[in-house]
Amino acid sequence: MKQNEAVVRFEHISMQFPGVLANDDICLEIRKGEVFALIGENGAGKSTLMNILYGLQKPSAGALWIKGKRVEEFDPRIVIDQGVGMVHQHFMLVPSFTVAQNIVLSREPRKHKIFFDNAAAEEAVRKLERDYGLTVPESTPVEEISVGLQQRVEILKALCKGAEILILDEPTAVLTPQETEELFTVIRGIVREKDMTVIIITHKLDEVMAISDRVGVMRKGRLVGVHETRDVDTRMLASLMVGRPVLFEELERSGTPGAPALRVEKLCVSDQRGLPAVRGLSLELRAGEILGIAAIEGNGQSELIEAITGLIPIRSGRVEVLGKDVTGREPGEIREAGLAHVPEDRLATGLSGAATVAENLLVGKQREPRFNRFRIHQDRRAVRSYAEEVYERYDIRGAGVDALAGEMSGGNMQKVVIAREFSFDTPVLIISQPTRGVDVGAIEFIHSRVMEKRNQGAAILLSSADLDEVFRLSDRIITLFEGEITGSFRAGEIGKEELGLYMTGSRRQGGTAE
Amino acid sequence: MNGSKDIFSTIFSAGTFQMMLRSATPVALAAIGGSMTEHAGIMNIGMEGMILMGAFFGVLGSFLAQSAFAGLALALLVGILAGLFFALLVVRYKSDEFIIGCALNTFAIGLTTYLARNYFPGDASGNPNLPELNLAFLDRIPGLRVINHQSVLVYLTWIIVILAWLFVYKTPYGFWLRASGEKPDTLRTAGISPKKMKWIASVLCGILCALAGAHLSLGQLQGTFTDNMSNSRGFIAFACVIFAAAHPGKAYLAALMFGFFEAIGLRLQGFVSSDLTGMIPYLITIVMMVYVVVRKQRRKMKNE
Amino acid sequence: MIRNKINTKYLISLGVSVLLAFLVGALILLCTGRNPLRAYGAMLSGAFSNRRHIGDVLEYAMVLAVCGLACDLGSRVGIFNVGGEGQLLLGAIAAAQVGAALDGVTAWAVIPLAALAAILTGALYALIPGVLKVKLKVNEVITTIMLNTVAAYLCQFLAKGPWRSSDPRMVAATEELSPRYWFGGLMGASNLSTAIFAAAIIAFLVWYVMQKTTPGFEMKLTGQNPRFARFSGLRIDRKIILCMAISGAMCGLVGMFRVFGAEHQYKSSISSDYYFEGLMVAMIARYQPLTTILLALFFAVLKVGAEGLQQVGVPNQIYLIIQTVIIFFMAAQSGFLEAAAANPRLRRLLSGRKKPPAGADPHTGAEPDEKGGAAQ
Repeated sequence: MKQNEAVVRFEHISMQFPGVLANDDICLEIRKGEVFALIGENGAGKSTLMNILYGLQKPSAGALWIKGKRVEEFDPRIVIDQGVGMVHQHFMLVPSFTVAQNIVLSREPRKHKIFFDNAAAEEAVRKLERDYGLTVPESTPVEEISVGLQQRVEILKALCKGAEILILDEPTAVLTPQETEELFTVIRGIVREKDMTVIIITHKLDEVMAISDRVGVMRKGRLVGVHETRDVDTRMLASLMVGRPVLFEELERSGTPGAPALRVEKLCVSDQRGLPAVRGLSLELRAGEILGIAAIEGNGQSELIEAITGLIPIRSGRVEVLGKDVTGREPGEIREAGLAHVPEDRLATGLSGAATVAENLLVGKQREPRFNRFRIHQDRRAVRSYAEEVYERYDIRGAGVDALAGEMSGGNMQKVVIAREFSFDTPVLIISQPTRGVDVGAIEFIHSRVMEKRNQGAAILLSSADLDEVFRLSDRIITLFEGEITGSFRAGEIGKEELGLYMTGSRRQGGTAE
Repeated sequence: MNGSKDIFSTIFSAGTFQMMLRSATPVALAAIGGSMTEHAGIMNIGMEGMILMGAFFGVLGSFLAQSAFAGLALALLVGILAGLFFALLVVRYKSDEFIIGCALNTFAIGLTTYLARNYFPGDASGNPNLPELNLAFLDRIPGLRVINHQSVLVYLTWIIVILAWLFVYKTPYGFWLRASGEKPDTLRTAGISPKKMKWIASVLCGILCALAGAHLSLGQLQGTFTDNMSNSRGFIAFACVIFAAAHPGKAYLAALMFGFFEAIGLRLQGFVSSDLTGMIPYLITIVMMVYVVVRKQRRKMKNE
Repeated sequence: MIRNKINTKYLISLGVSVLLAFLVGALILLCTGRNPLRAYGAMLSGAFSNRRHIGDVLEYAMVLAVCGLACDLGSRVGIFNVGGEGQLLLGAIAAAQVGAALDGVTAWAVIPLAALAAILTGALYALIPGVLKVKLKVNEVITTIMLNTVAAYLCQFLAKGPWRSSDPRMVAATEELSPRYWFGGLMGASNLSTAIFAAAIIAFLVWYVMQKTTPGFEMKLTGQNPRFARFSGLRIDRKIILCMAISGAMCGLVGMFRVFGAEHQYKSSISSDYYFEGLMVAMIARYQPLTTILLALFFAVLKVGAEGLQQVGVPNQIYLIIQTVIIFFMAAQSGFLEAAAANPRLRRLLSGRKKPPAGADPHTGAEPDEKGGAAQ
């Protein structure tokens, strides 16, 4: 095995998206026969880099070399022919087709020139299984097999097309620990015996330690370090991943926490597929404090917030707002109990893009007497002057209150959502990803508004993928891993690197996972 | 008691089955066409209009050339054009398939009635019709008599059912067709254009609906066109597609069931109102749709 | 896809579509050996030649407008009521039967009761697909189409059987109403009756509620983004079901207007897919109430004018062709312009239009936050 031969070479690759430099001058070599882990926070640019390698996107600068040949045309079909295979985070399988039918799709073996030869397809799959030591139920429809097996089918599909370089995008995100272990066995097998090269994108650090030979860390579009895995530990990786804190001015804090405002007891919630996402979680939030949730995407924080606010059903447990039981109530009833919510996805949940800014600012208050004449006649002038006042106060910048909300920039859209939700002056505020995709100036503005709310005595539950944000705003921080609280800390009690260990599940309060 | 015995013997007479076969055929042909578009992920409620156009242009061709087969050819040509037109709007220009389907149905009523007034100022009957099969030996076998003396398209439909089934489930093209509706992105990453499959499905549907229409006018009514003669058969066919989950064989059976209810409706006019028996298939369709949804939900609950 | 905005661009595209549709109609007329100019002239004079025709135009405009508004109401909250035809027929027969059964009772009781019967039957019949959609997410388009046929059969059964007219010449009709229940005629022998005032009030109310009130605002939110509407505290399930019921009630009432204003009994000429024509008007009007009303008038002129065509020997179905071709053009135009913009040669022709930003492929597997979060 020639360990040091580069099969893939990124040469000064940059990728400019409108407003975002997703990849910034990346130079990287992937060696033949290694397992290379690429880690980084959400939005660090890992997926973009891999999409370039798979031919889905053309870099705005730089060159890509695969097996010593420069890639001229970025097209998946050409790259596939050069031996690159990718297993997407969201599987590309036809649910009603059998495993074998999925694997051979578009290169079906035929009988009498026109008929699909199912027996030959299954035989071909069996041969692949023998070659790579991966077993799958060839003749079972994909929709009937587990996610772990589906992933194995995806891997076989890539191998069937002759892949020698396999990209796995967050392969363990949807797997159980057992399935993860099986996947790792498979990866080790194909690398050792078939001399394959595997690139694995992840943000679970213990998995990096378990499977990879080398690891590359990305942060904010840059490759900040490449190391032999045996030379690093999770703590070091966590600090590389998170980086030094961005310098913001200290925000002024005043007041002391008051009475409990939000209480969650032994909450269990399922995700969209019906699998457990929040497992018996309890928390208490007091007036005048910010409780930050630190968790990696997909560990139950979204479901927790949507369950508290009534958007998705609760399987068991209890939610109380200001002492009132609101378990299983509709969002409107929960809002009435004294809660407002800035949702994580502003376009899908936080506003109506087809309505004007003024209308979006009004929503929730439309029944108030000041906006109605004769009880139901909407007083457009009152709405407009109210909207203009809020527009001003929250420093929203755009084409005015009559413009469509969907045509604003991300930062201003977010300000519209925040302006509306904060204007309810509720004792409890649930804020999710307040500054996702928002420019720096707006971040500062939003942070100071959040802190102002806290100082006025609001109880704030904050969830953010941006750890700096969680650290900057929170009075207390909890870490979530796979739907459970793994740690609970006062601000200043813990550093980012250590927090990363709790977020990745490698450590837990009251008994470590290691 | 005597009456109920009469009903029984009337329902299960050879005549009923003959009638069932005859009236199931146009619905079945359209339903097989609808299965193609359904598999390609297109909700095609424009079949009604495609059938009507097939029926009219079949008679028109038959009248102009004085040959039923020329009529059939013209109907097929119009069917292909209708399919291409539908695909142009729905697949290429991404128009709402429901709006287009709805408009296509009304367009067909307008166009066929207008042209019928033009070409057939009196009435559009007595044009050359499609021949019937007449195999004397079938008459001598007691059970098989019912399948004799049918228009040729009845038998052609059997062949089409088998061909459609082979196409959808036994050829690679059928796999691509189904993938284009179920997971177009998967097909695209595999290097095959899902849009192309949708175009093909649309044209196949146009052809089969035109055949259905031609059977109606040139076969069942022996060379006659009447206004709006498709008479909701396109919607019934759509129901069959849903009912059969777009399986051509099951769609044929569903069509037979509709044919059966239509036949007994006609046969039972002395006993029960045909209007009441006519409702049954539509009600069953609604029940089936609810059942399909409930079953899906129950499966998800099991996950929890 | 038709977008919900009425602006200059819409007016231009409507104008162009109408023009093109008339051209297509002219082409068909030419191909069948007619003079298009003469035909269109006859159409115009057919609609306005005498009081009777003008009355019929208004009556048909009323039917189209109320049916179209019923469709607008559903689509405003995101549910597509295709079942108006069935709701209309059932409303008509219920009203007709109430009128026939209470023969002899004062009109002051009979007319409100008949209207109530029509409203209730229409609303209840619309609730079936409405509830199935909201509670079980069963596609309302298919259920409403099926229910249309069921209603048609049911009405035919009732009109032929239990509620059949005593007049032996009528095969499928209910008893004719006693003339003192008839709505007063307004234009000589035309179908126009005082029902148009009731229809005008309904149209005004629907327009007012949808465009000017807070509940109308909430309906709009529900249709635009149901997830956001629910998030902001609205009970969207109730809103959708209520709108569906009102939509059904309006269709039922149209049936009652047809019975008490024009036909004076239930028979098959109560409606021949009138709801579908109203629905197409609503589609062309992009579900905007005022535009629906105006276009209803326009299409009523075409429809009744087309009757005038008969006199010059042109079949009146040319009207349906023109109406549907307008829909084809309007539905295709945004996709057509997009395709034209993507085609470099055509783009040069339509200079000034910018190429749409090269959006990331749906299968790039990009991290959700890079695309602004994954929608549920």
